[in-house]
Amino acid sequence: MRYKCIHKNEWDKAIEQLLLSYTIFASVENEYGLDYELITPSDIVKISYNKPKPATSLKSFFLPVKENVTSQKVDEKPRIILGIPNCDIEGLGLLDEIYLDSEFNDVFYKKRRENTLLIGSDCFGVQEHCHCSSYNINPYSEDNADLAVINLNGTIFLRILSAKGEDFVKKIPAVQSLDDKDTISSIEKEQLVTEKILSDSNRGLPDYKETCKLVTNAKKNIWEKYSAKCVSCGACTVICPTCTCFLLIDKPGFEKLKQMDACQYPGFERVAGGEDALAELHNRFRNRYMCKYAWKPEKFKSLACTGCGRCIEACIGKINKNEIFMELAK
Amino acid sequence: MPDNRNIYKPIRARLTDVIEESSSIKTFVMVPENNFSFKTGQFIELSVDGIGEAPFTPSSSPLVTEKIEVTVMKTGYVTEYMHMLKPGVFMGIRGPYGRGYPVEKFFGKEVVILGGGCGLAPIRSLLYTLESIKDNLVKVTLCYGSKTPSDCIYKPLFDRLNNTEKFEAYRTVDKADKEWDGSVGVATTLLNKIKINIKNSVAVVCGPPIMMKFGTIRLLEMGYSDDQIYLSMEKNMSCGLGKCGHCMMGEFFVCRDGPVFTYDEIKDQPDIWN
Repeated sequence: MRYKCIHKNEWDKAIEQLLLSYTIFASVENEYGLDYELITPSDIVKISYNKPKPATSLKSFFLPVKENVTSQKVDEKPRIILGIPNCDIEGLGLLDEIYLDSEFNDVFYKKRRENTLLIGSDCFGVQEHCHCSSYNINPYSEDNADLAVINLNGTIFLRILSAKGEDFVKKIPAVQSLDDKDTISSIEKEQLVTEKILSDSNRGLPDYKETCKLVTNAKKNIWEKYSAKCVSCGACTVICPTCTCFLLIDKPGFEKLKQMDACQYPGFERVAGGEDALAELHNRFRNRYMCKYAWKPEKFKSLACTGCGRCIEACIGKINKNEIFMELAK
Repeated sequence: MPDNRNIYKPIRARLTDVIEESSSIKTFVMVPENNFSFKTGQFIELSVDGIGEAPFTPSSSPLVTEKIEVTVMKTGYVTEYMHMLKPGVFMGIRGPYGRGYPVEKFFGKEVVILGGGCGLAPIRSLLYTLESIKDNLVKVTLCYGSKTPSDCIYKPLFDRLNNTEKFEAYRTVDKADKEWDGSVGVATTLLNKIKINIKNSVAVVCGPPIMMKFGTIRLLEMGYSDDQIYLSMEKNMSCGLGKCGHCMMGEFFVCRDGPVFTYDEIKDQPDIWN
């Protein structure tokens, strides 16, 4: 892996300059916790580095909650999203497969992807429900993003992950090469510490393939038991970095609004005449698990759950998917 | 290669005629403003301006490209508005989407078609296609059931088929009226009346979910194998693009991988009959 470095003060100045030509979003700690926020010059000092993980996922930057997909134009100004944990970066893999497929590609998604520079952030430490490594995802990016950022001892280190990222750092004159093996090994040491915490805190949690088998073979009583606390609010799917189901709403002039939808909402699969395969709550509840761990993996290469744990945090019924898997694995 | 075409934008089509097929079913004849063609069994997303959009398989021949016909039962929000439309207005069309009937696989075979209710709409399109390639087919037998004699759509179709070489068409009704002197019983009962060389045959089933289910069961009892039965599946195909997720049936997007499947392909998926 190739690294570049820049003094933190110089980096902050560089961001200020970049604001003239880019819209920048970064993870910022506010009174509710960490989240992606639009950065103005006065916010630069508030940018949080290497902390897991923004409350909302990355997807809404590419798939807005609601947009007009027949007449609206995408903002052409280039964007930087800074401080993205690898669970979110990996989540984009599935979105790319769905929205950039060769037959039907979504121009809105495509333009936003092309316009955006992704700067990942190595996670130093974990949050309560983080479990990326259980699904073979590292808490730091090695590909799929353009750069990864590490803030260590007053220096910003930039790991170069793509040609786009490499071109980008050339625009910042204060960036220097880094070949110091000791510094690189101290970054790797931090990565190992996080990996160790993740594996300790998720001991016994089944991996992706095993989870597929467990949910596929789970009996109806499991889904009934855990869905008893579900109120079909859809928070788990709204917050998920890989859930992107939507609804098209018609407006006069054959215009269409594309709005986020969720299989957890009643009526999601209802057809004219009233037939509805997901009419019952426990079936809708099961659908989400089957979709993520059994059905999507049959169709796509990218994972449909990246272990971010946001669905557990968002659930008002305090349903913990990992408790279900642990019970099934017993 | 991905291009910059807007996949969500419909093309406009002028409604030129509305044909009343039964008390609850109408055929909408449309002339698209742009070139539009489809393969039999594929579907389109048809929209009523400002109201909504729904998936339909065209009932017209794919060989006729200057107009397109869609036969619609009044059964929900969008279709109720559709039934109020008069010729002259514009409708929106997206598509065609999905995998239609693989008619080249029917070559050299007998084709049994089991249809019910408004399921005859996609079947009519298939029949037009099969008529155009009848030299390559051994025989085509249509078994169709409607609730009552007056619910039967495309009535002239049956006489025309029965006067066409290699084609036979049978009708039944769930409930007869005073004038009806034909078969009474569900569509599957017609399967008992036909002579068919099952080994060299394929079966096509299209109709309400309950008929699809029991039709498939009956065909399997008769000796059809799972991969000889073609089903036209009905799910909530909303985007038609394999993206919105509404029509997922296990690992399949019905809109992309279907709507036509062999029973063999989908028999292990959950809730295929509703």
